[in-house]
Amino acid sequence: MKKYYGSVSADLAAVDGRKRLNMDKIMTVLCFVLLMIIVVIPIVMIIYNAFFNEGKLEVEMFVQQVTEKKNLDAMKNTLVIALLTTILGTIMGVFYAWLLGRSDIPAKGLMRALFNIPYMFPPFLGAMAWDMMFNGRSGYINKWLVQLFGLKSMPININSVWGIVFVEVSYYFPFVFMQVVSALERMDPTLEESARISGARQRQVIWKITLPLVKPAISAGALLILTTSLAHFGVPAILGYAKRIYTLPTRIYAVIYNSGGSFDGIRQGAALSVMLVVVVSAALILQNRILAAGSYDIIKGKSMRPTLIKLRGAKLPLFLLAILTLVLIVIVPLVMIVLISFLKAYGLPLELKNFTLDQYKAVFSMGGTIDSIRNSLFVSITAGIICMFLGTLVAYVVQKIKPKGKGALEVISMLPYAIPGTVLSIGVILAWSGRIAGINLYNTIWIILVAYLARYLSFSMKTSSAALLQVHSSLEEASRVCGASHTESLADITLPLIRPAMVSGFFLIFLPAMREVTTSILLYGPHTRTLGVQIYTLRDAGMIPQAAALATVAIGIIIILNTIVTKLTRDRKGV
Amino acid sequence: MADQIVLNHVTKRFTTKTLGDIVAVDDFNLNDHEGECFSFLGPSGCGKSTTLRMIAGFEDLTEGEIELCGRLVSSRKKNLYVQPEDRGLGMVFQAFAVWPHMNVFENVAFPLRIQKVNKTDIVKRVNEALHHTSLTGLENVFPGDLSGGQQQRIALARAIVTNPKVMLLDEPLSNLDPKLRETMRFEIKALQRKFNFTIIFVTHDQSEAMAISDRMMVCDMGKIMQIDTPENLYNKPCNRFVHNFLGESTFINVVIRDGKAYPKGHTEQALDLPVPVNASAEMVVATRPNEIALTGPGEGGFATHIEKRIFLTDRTEYLVPVGEQLLKVQTPHRVTFAEGEACAVHLVEPMWYPADDAAAEKERARRQLV
Amino acid sequence: MANVTFDNITFRYGNNTVLEHFSLDVESGTIVCLVGPSGCGKTTLVRALLGLIKPETGSITVGDRVLFDAKKRINVPAEKRNIGIVFQDYAVWPHMTVLENVSYPLKKQRRPKEEIRQRAMHALEQVHMTEYANHLPNQLSGGQQQRVAIARALVVDSDVLVMDEPITNLDAKLREEMLLEIRMIQKRLNATILYITHDQQSALQLCDKMAIMQQNGTLCQYGSDEEIILHPANRFTFEFIGVSNFIPVVKEPNGMMLDCGDRIPYAGEVPAEAAQGGYELGVRPNDIVFDNTSPLKARVDSRVFLGSEYNYFLSVGQKQIRVQQSMLDARTKGIANEGETVGIRFLNARFYPARKGAETA
Repeated sequence: MKKYYGSVSADLAAVDGRKRLNMDKIMTVLCFVLLMIIVVIPIVMIIYNAFFNEGKLEVEMFVQQVTEKKNLDAMKNTLVIALLTTILGTIMGVFYAWLLGRSDIPAKGLMRALFNIPYMFPPFLGAMAWDMMFNGRSGYINKWLVQLFGLKSMPININSVWGIVFVEVSYYFPFVFMQVVSALERMDPTLEESARISGARQRQVIWKITLPLVKPAISAGALLILTTSLAHFGVPAILGYAKRIYTLPTRIYAVIYNSGGSFDGIRQGAALSVMLVVVVSAALILQNRILAAGSYDIIKGKSMRPTLIKLRGAKLPLFLLAILTLVLIVIVPLVMIVLISFLKAYGLPLELKNFTLDQYKAVFSMGGTIDSIRNSLFVSITAGIICMFLGTLVAYVVQKIKPKGKGALEVISMLPYAIPGTVLSIGVILAWSGRIAGINLYNTIWIILVAYLARYLSFSMKTSSAALLQVHSSLEEASRVCGASHTESLADITLPLIRPAMVSGFFLIFLPAMREVTTSILLYGPHTRTLGVQIYTLRDAGMIPQAAALATVAIGIIIILNTIVTKLTRDRKGV
Repeated sequence: MADQIVLNHVTKRFTTKTLGDIVAVDDFNLNDHEGECFSFLGPSGCGKSTTLRMIAGFEDLTEGEIELCGRLVSSRKKNLYVQPEDRGLGMVFQAFAVWPHMNVFENVAFPLRIQKVNKTDIVKRVNEALHHTSLTGLENVFPGDLSGGQQQRIALARAIVTNPKVMLLDEPLSNLDPKLRETMRFEIKALQRKFNFTIIFVTHDQSEAMAISDRMMVCDMGKIMQIDTPENLYNKPCNRFVHNFLGESTFINVVIRDGKAYPKGHTEQALDLPVPVNASAEMVVATRPNEIALTGPGEGGFATHIEKRIFLTDRTEYLVPVGEQLLKVQTPHRVTFAEGEACAVHLVEPMWYPADDAAAEKERARRQLV
Repeated sequence: MANVTFDNITFRYGNNTVLEHFSLDVESGTIVCLVGPSGCGKTTLVRALLGLIKPETGSITVGDRVLFDAKKRINVPAEKRNIGIVFQDYAVWPHMTVLENVSYPLKKQRRPKEEIRQRAMHALEQVHMTEYANHLPNQLSGGQQQRVAIARALVVDSDVLVMDEPITNLDAKLREEMLLEIRMIQKRLNATILYITHDQQSALQLCDKMAIMQQNGTLCQYGSDEEIILHPANRFTFEFIGVSNFIPVVKEPNGMMLDCGDRIPYAGEVPAEAAQGGYELGVRPNDIVFDNTSPLKARVDSRVFLGSEYNYFLSVGQKQIRVQQSMLDARTKGIANEGETVGIRFLNARFYPARKGAETA
């Protein structure tokens, strides 16, 4: 019998043990320090500045801000818009999920892909498009309708609470739709079949069995809509300003913008931020309660194709309705933006003789445009890469090393998830404009990067965490027994196994960061506009066709990136 | 006794993308009597589940007719198809299919609520059903907090609460552990005696089917092989497949010469058996390892020796050469032979089948891919 | 290959003692099956052998090499123990091809490339997997993945091969095949295998020797399969290894009685210590035969045909016992009908002290 090792001295073993302990410790400490810098400091700064001024407790400003009528109105609008969006988005999401998941409606695969499109695009571009069509004063379709029917006033005004709700619903219903479709697909079909055998008609089965069973998926999606809408900036900013309809995020922006970025303005913003965080946290607590209460196991048994419900006579009308919805929420806004981007001047009729490519030339000859694309690519890729590694590090510490402060670590890394982008920006401004250790990042690209890191870290941490949980400990143990040390097993087995999750974590950050506007709108400086900010400010300055041209380019970039991502994720073999 | 379930020339064809047409169920004819427990037994892909789903009404049929309790429910010719909820059946599924959002009471009450039975009657009948399934006291518990066995009892209670004449059981015991399987089997039989419903029991487990059924149907590759009582099926299987499927089998290939059966590759000693009159030149003698008697060499039988002795928990297994082949013999531990020891094997009433059919094996392999 | 010695191993999780003063010697070149109900500590023992956990006391030696000794503070790390392991869930790395999986242990030994390839292919040959060398594990069936795991464990000439429930996740037919294959590989390489399972049936089919562990983490019996089946050391082994009936026996002035509610005379032999009282007669269902000349009578409550056997429930006095009648007996001697009264005889009756407070079913 051969032996490759001979006797290994006991000391060597002990040394290995100590070394490993140290590496684990270093990783843990690194985690805490980085999270402290990225997440904790900005949040502490907001709370501190909302209640303290120059080291002294000063609540007057806070009380004055939260009792001011304008701010209370904004709070009311925020809640009304969020609730309406949630209710309508949920109904729409469930309806289409059922239609695609359970009925024999044709062209399912295609429709499913199309229904996910709104998820890809930034809602503020949609808001721009709808504003072009149904603006209360100058909307193209409004004007056309007035001409056609000889009306005295514009028939539809998108610059209203209902208008905001409509646009938000069309972009947020996929949250519910995707959750419910996948729940329906994984559901054991015998749960429904046994109800048929018990004597229930198809309609009764839907109401009494199917819907109650997917209720957890519905509420998960609905609460996601609620929290997202509460914190949302783009749509109310674009549609609401004209009529002075403010929500808390837009109000915070207005306060800071109007004060010209003065410290007082930022402090007022901090006070409003506390208000917004309270509302969002309440929604998140609600979410945790509801999700913890109702989760059942509906996926067991042999896999069988579910019996599809025959729509018979209703098939064609429902199919047309679905197509119409898709056209309305996906195609129409895109076409509108593209059309406007070719106009010589905003307001001219949409006729071929008014079309030109000059707007594209103008946009790209403008100083900021190329910069903004470069900036967006730079911050998005950098934030994506840093978050990918940092998130995996935190996930590894939490899942595998399990140090003493593991709970706190998890909470801290997830915290920014509960904090609206606008609020995070204020925290970052307060923290990194020279008040701590003399570090002043204001007006540089780095401040945007820091804000992105805080905002998106939880994304990559979640995906890496889930992947690490999938790596059964026996896989690592097997490699130890095969002669690999702790570090080697990590490098040879664990990391390669979670690499796909890390990559998708990267894209999960990179894609939304590319179209981001909420956070960067408060942080940009003269030379550090992002793509989203550039479109927003062009439009704000009245250069609507140019904004549309850049938006068209942005949409093109997003479509290309998405295609690449889908290709990459599909081609990955194994695992 | 009246026939409760009648299948006339029932056929189901699927078209698959990769393998073309598959006849899942090919011309099934059967009659189940009232109060009978009838099993569909066969390997996966034999058509048993499809047949059950056609009876339940979850699948339409391609040809033929199904009659339940004297009423036509599916007929291709008359273009008739009764919805599953209107067939008046009880059914229990492999994965329990109890609704996790309802407590035990509501699960069982559901069929009655659908029928709009009045409240006092619901309480009475549900309690009765729970009593018969030993679930009394668990009314307010949710299924997620119960064991697999208890969940399957809820499904049973839900199925009997409407007092159906026909009960369809789709592998109801497969998700339970072996000990529980036996108890549940007894409980199902007890319920049947009490409520006198007709059972169709689908399973791939032959010993379970034999323990529970009055009659059973063995099918393979979409065709009925044999319908009979468990004892007749086990003792007189009509072909080699049924023999092998119903229990551990051991086969000897023989060559018939001068009215005697010689094990293949062994010309000196013939088997100590009368050869059936219609035997062809090559046959297969089929028997079961525990139906072969093993004795010392002087007591008749086929003289040979012990090649290998394997000790199993509840019996000893011997491999005994018969010609070129190794015969598997199982005896209680009390019968002991050493490896190499001379002995004799006695086959007790074996079955005779024609020699192997390679085509059937090929078809089976093709179907496994579906 | 080398022998493995566990000496006086104790392991606790908090206050929960999993193993206590456990000793076992696995001879070189044999398959030893470690069998016990789940939670008896068999997996803990394996993890201690592999160096994934550290026992409190005792020592583990493989051949002449001490892997662990609590007193001498020796604890060789897992990667240096040179033990092959096949886990229950295969633990085949999904991101590596079959060949890469099998080569990995050699790579960690920094062997030359050509040698790695040769030896990995040789290991794959031994488990008949050469044609799948470039497949990824998710393209393989459960049985094939298991073979890859075995090849990976074989490739480095480990001192000992540990298999932790390696066939539990396979279907019945494949289980049978894998058992034969493991046995053949063992023969070919003259390997020392420690095989862990809760399934006594497969253990019996496979092992040279069997170690039976009890719930409290102690060794019940260690011996060949036949020794254990024919001479179970205690009641736990007897019950664990198969189905059993128990009837209390009492001594009365006119001889030994079976206590079945009513007292029924028992004519069979009773060892002296059992006659003192507090003992029960244990008998396997297939060691009870019908014999109308026997004075011991029973009523047939039910008969179920199970294919390979008839299963009866009989009442002896108030006590129900289970009887299995083989088809050979049924065919040659006939079957008993429900409601009939029959004579029965116990073959191979055993006597064990009654379990205190426990129901003896």
